[in-house]
Parts: sequence; structure tokens; C-alpha cells
Amino acid sequence: MRNADRVTAALLLAFAVAFSAGAVKNYQWWGAGGPGPAFVPFCLGIVMALLALMMLVRSIREKNPGEAWFPRGEGLRDMLVVLAVTIAYVALLDVTGMVVGTALYLAILVRYLGKHRWWVTLSVALGAGLFNWVVFVHWLRVPMPEGMFWTF
Amino acid sequence: MGFGVAFTPFNLMMAVAGVLVGILIGALPGVGPPSGVAMLLPLTFGMDPTSGIIMLAALYAGTMYGGTITAVLINTPGESASVVTCLDGYQMALQGRAGPALGIAAIGSFIAGTIGVVLLMLISPVLARWSLAFGPPETFSLMLLGLTTVTLLAGEDPLKGYISMVFGLMLAMVGYDIISGDARYGFGIVEMMDGIDFLPAAIGLFGLGEVLAGAEQKGGAVLKTSLKLRDVLPGMADWARSKWAIARGTAMGFLVGVLPGAGPTVASFLAYTVEKKISKHPEQFGKGAIEGVASPESANNAAATAAMVPMLTLGIPGSATTAIMLGGLMMWGLRPGPMLFEKNPEFVWGLIASQYIANVMLLILSTLFIPLFVRAVRIPYSILMPLIVVFCVTGAYSLKNNLWDVGQMLVMGVLGYFMKKLGYSPAALVLALVLGPLAERALRQSLIISDAGIGILFMRPISGVLTALALLAILVPTVRAILKK
Repeated sequence: MRNADRVTAALLLAFAVAFSAGAVKNYQWWGAGGPGPAFVPFCLGIVMALLALMMLVRSIREKNPGEAWFPRGEGLRDMLVVLAVTIAYVALLDVTGMVVGTALYLAILVRYLGKHRWWVTLSVALGAGLFNWVVFVHWLRVPMPEGMFWTF
Repeated sequence: MGFGVAFTPFNLMMAVAGVLVGILIGALPGVGPPSGVAMLLPLTFGMDPTSGIIMLAALYAGTMYGGTITAVLINTPGESASVVTCLDGYQMALQGRAGPALGIAAIGSFIAGTIGVVLLMLISPVLARWSLAFGPPETFSLMLLGLTTVTLLAGEDPLKGYISMVFGLMLAMVGYDIISGDARYGFGIVEMMDGIDFLPAAIGLFGLGEVLAGAEQKGGAVLKTSLKLRDVLPGMADWARSKWAIARGTAMGFLVGVLPGAGPTVASFLAYTVEKKISKHPEQFGKGAIEGVASPESANNAAATAAMVPMLTLGIPGSATTAIMLGGLMMWGLRPGPMLFEKNPEFVWGLIASQYIANVMLLILSTLFIPLFVRAVRIPYSILMPLIVVFCVTGAYSLKNNLWDVGQMLVMGVLGYFMKKLGYSPAALVLALVLGPLAERALRQSLIISDAGIGILFMRPISGVLTALALLAILVPTVRAILKK
């Protein structure tokens, strides 16, 4: 992706047009004595389309393709691993439960990112899991997902 | 009356806890006041609103100072209001004068914060009474002014600033229309009809987004320093050079902070520039001049206090952080705005009194515990980052006890990552997301009562001036960009 601004501008333009069109098609333009629910979204879509057009024109005029903004190699891998593990953590919360899930999540990421010794990893994971339980479950009584392994 | 509320043991404890946690959060690179307040807001839902806001206000003051620690020691501002502090603060640290730099910042913050609270106390009731006369057109034009100024000042590229802002407004359209009751842009999903909640959005954009961006580059190098309490106190010579810088910083900070949209960051930049201009030895700036730390640090604290004025009196937040606090107020069922002073006086005065206390605590704790906080900066990023994510997830979940909010937070986190990478301002988006529904209602009500269509915004004196200023804020960067070519 050489020119991120150009791609973003094109995407935003498409989004803005769809947004305005959706507003006019689905909602009422003018209601009792004043603008209806379609009025403001339609205007916003138009403003966004104009802004996106301005950016599109600007990025096409710009000869310099812009610096690489997307990470490569190790940076990209670390970012994707963090994101993937986080998504898995959230998706599995109902199965693992908040406390167990949190401890597992921390153990995996701390170990992966820092290559810390096992005792460091374990104490962070267990410490945070315990803190989580004390503050949110015990003290604030937030009904956290309990999971299959452990009921409070 | 406020002190009676603020001095209960529990509230005092909350103020201390807020300041301590705030300094720690502010000192962590990449996590600034908005993320700190967003992540800890859920913790306060179990408390009564007064204790909650006391803790958040103390937390805000603490994060402002915490950002200074990293700016001075590792040349990495913990939050944007400390960016200018890096210029001279880090130079001082390199010369072995990190102690006086942190000390003068603490003292400056204390003075500025205290004067700021006095002014807040004097101005707010007057402004609240005055704003009772505000109708929908005035409210709308004021919000417009807030949105355009925050956008103008948020980043280097005004076009991208406006794109973030309008995108935030578009996201704010999702959900029930306040006037007609239509569910907009819901795609038939029940949860979508409640709209995009800005708290999970703020937690994702600021918290998770920062973590993802930070995962690419492993944390910065830490300057090896050991600080003792004795080193923190600035000498007489430092004090003599700084006292007027602190006074000027306070005055400028408060004035800038009261304006909706222009927050601590702008105040600190302005204070630094002015200080350099009027200095007798401008050549020392950027090479470790203590005024270069004292003035912006005072300004950003005065501005942080002043930002509460529009939030409390008009219900219009001046910055991303106050926007999140405003969300907290609404979740407690309090309606910020002119009526707040009449309906919930114990809340308002409790908050104001707690600001005094927070400032005293900040001075004491920051000087006593600087050596400890310096250590906290050294926690490896690989441990810190996963912990921040856990806080984001638990925080988002405990808002309404459902996983939908956590999902929103995740999506916003990814969006925040891209925005940060490509130079868009998450602050403008969050502010727009908060103000969007309110601004839409004000605009539509204005048009309903108007005989002259959109002209009503110009025909009433107050809203005319505010709208003109907002248009000016849009035009200035545009004209400047055209003239450049």
C-alpha cells in the first residue's frame, strides 16, 4: 500500500455516499415542522464526501508516495499476535470465564512478548487474575462471565 | 459546604487513590489522561456519584503530572500536554537536574491548580446563571465552536482532523433518533439500536489502540537516574527564575482551558512560546531552561481545571478527558449544564472542594514518591501492555455487564491503531461522538423554532458571535493552506 491517504480517501468517499443515500432512502427527510431523522445524517455524509474528495485530490497531486506506515517483519508480527490473542481472549470469555481467561491471556502474552522467566510470567498472570477477582467480582460485584472451570 | 462533602474519610481516600493511580497511569508511556479516566470510570460506578467524580478529578490531576515524569526522564511525553516539557525537561535531566525539573513542575502544577480552582469556583455559578438563557441555537453554535476548535488544534493536518470529527458525528447517528424515535443504521441488530456507546469507544481508541501501536516498537530507552527527595526541591535561583513563568503559565492556561475545545495541550504550547518570546535569554530554551518546564506545566494544570468550567456549566466538554467524565456524569443520572448547580449543589461543591484537596495531595505525593514513580516507568512494556488490555476488557465489560461492549471496544481499538498510524485524531472523534446526539437535537430544535431556516444561528446575538467564531476556526486553516501554495 503505497499511498495510504489515497486509499483512505476513496474508502471514506464510498462510505459517505452510502451513508447519505441510506439516510434518504430509509428515513424521513422532513418531519413535524422541522427536519426529520434523515436530515442530519444526510448532511454529514455530504460533508464527509467533500472532505474525502479534498484529500483524494491532495494525495493525487502529491508526488511523494508517503513514507511506509505499515510495519513489517517483527513489528507487524508482534502487533498481529497481540491482536489475535486479544480477540481469542474476548471470544472465549464465556468458556474460560473472566478470571481463568485473564490469567491465561496474560501468561501467553507476557511470555511471548517479553521472554520473561516462567516465575515472572506466572506471578503477573496469577496476581492480575486475583486482583481482577477481588476488585470486580468480590468488591464491585460485577457479574463477570464465569466459564466452565470455576464458579464463584 | 463543599469541604464537608469532600472531607469525609472515604472521599479523602478516593482523592488520594485517584492522585496515586493517576500519577502511575500518566507515567506509563502511551497511556494518557483520556485512557486513564476511561479505563477507571467503570470502577466508580459502584460508588456514589460525588465520590466517583472526586476520584476521577484527582485521577485527572495525577495523570497530568505523571506525564511530566516520563517527559523529563525518558523524553517520551506520557500525554500530549507534556510534549513541550520534553524540550527543556529532558535537557535538564541530561545535565543531572531531573530533580529540580520534576520539583518545579510539581510546585507549578500545585499553584496553577489551586488558583484554577478558585477561579472555577468564582466563574462557574455566574456562567451557569448566564447560560440559563441559552436556547437551542446558542447550544448548537457553542458545540459547533467546541468541535471546530478541538479539530483545529488536535493535529498537524486540519483536513484529517475534520475527517475524524465528521466520522465521529456519523458514528453518533447510529441508534435511536431522539426526536422521532426511528432506529437509524441498526442493520436489524438489537444492540446497534442503542447506538455506539462512547465509553467502550474511548477505551478502545485510547487504550487498546495505543497498545497495538506500541506492540510494534518495543518501549524506549530509560535514562538511569536515582532520585532522592532532597534532589527534588528546586533551589532559590531556580525558584527566582520560575515564579513569574508559573504566574504567566497559570493565567494563560486558565484562559485557554475555559474555551470549549482548547485544552491543556494547547495551553502548554502557548505558554512555552510566550515564555520563550519574552525571556531575557531565549537562547537557553531547548537547552535546559527551567522556565521552559515551569510555565507549560503550570499552564496545562490550570487548563485542566478550567476545562471543568464548560463541562459543569454548559454540559459541553472542552477536551477528550472531560468528554469521558461527562459521560460518567450522565451514567450517574446527573445532567451537566446550568441546572446542575441548582439541583445537585452538594455534588458541584464537593467536586470543587475535592479539587483543592487533590492539588495538595498531588504536591505532597509527587514530591514524596517521585523515586517510586521513577521505578514504575521501568516496568517492561511486555508486562505492561497485556495488563492494559486486561484493564480495557474488564472496564468495557463492567459498564453494562455484556460482551457486546467489549466487542465494540475491540473494533474501536483496531480503528484507533490505524488512526494513530495515519495521523488522525482520536480526541476529535470521541468529542464528536459525545456531542453528536446533543448537537443534532439542538440543531433540529433550532430549525423547528426558526422562521428563517439556518439563519436563526446568526440572528440571535450570542449564537451569532459563536457561529462566526466557529466559521473562522474552519476558514483560517483553509486560507492558510491556500496561501501556502
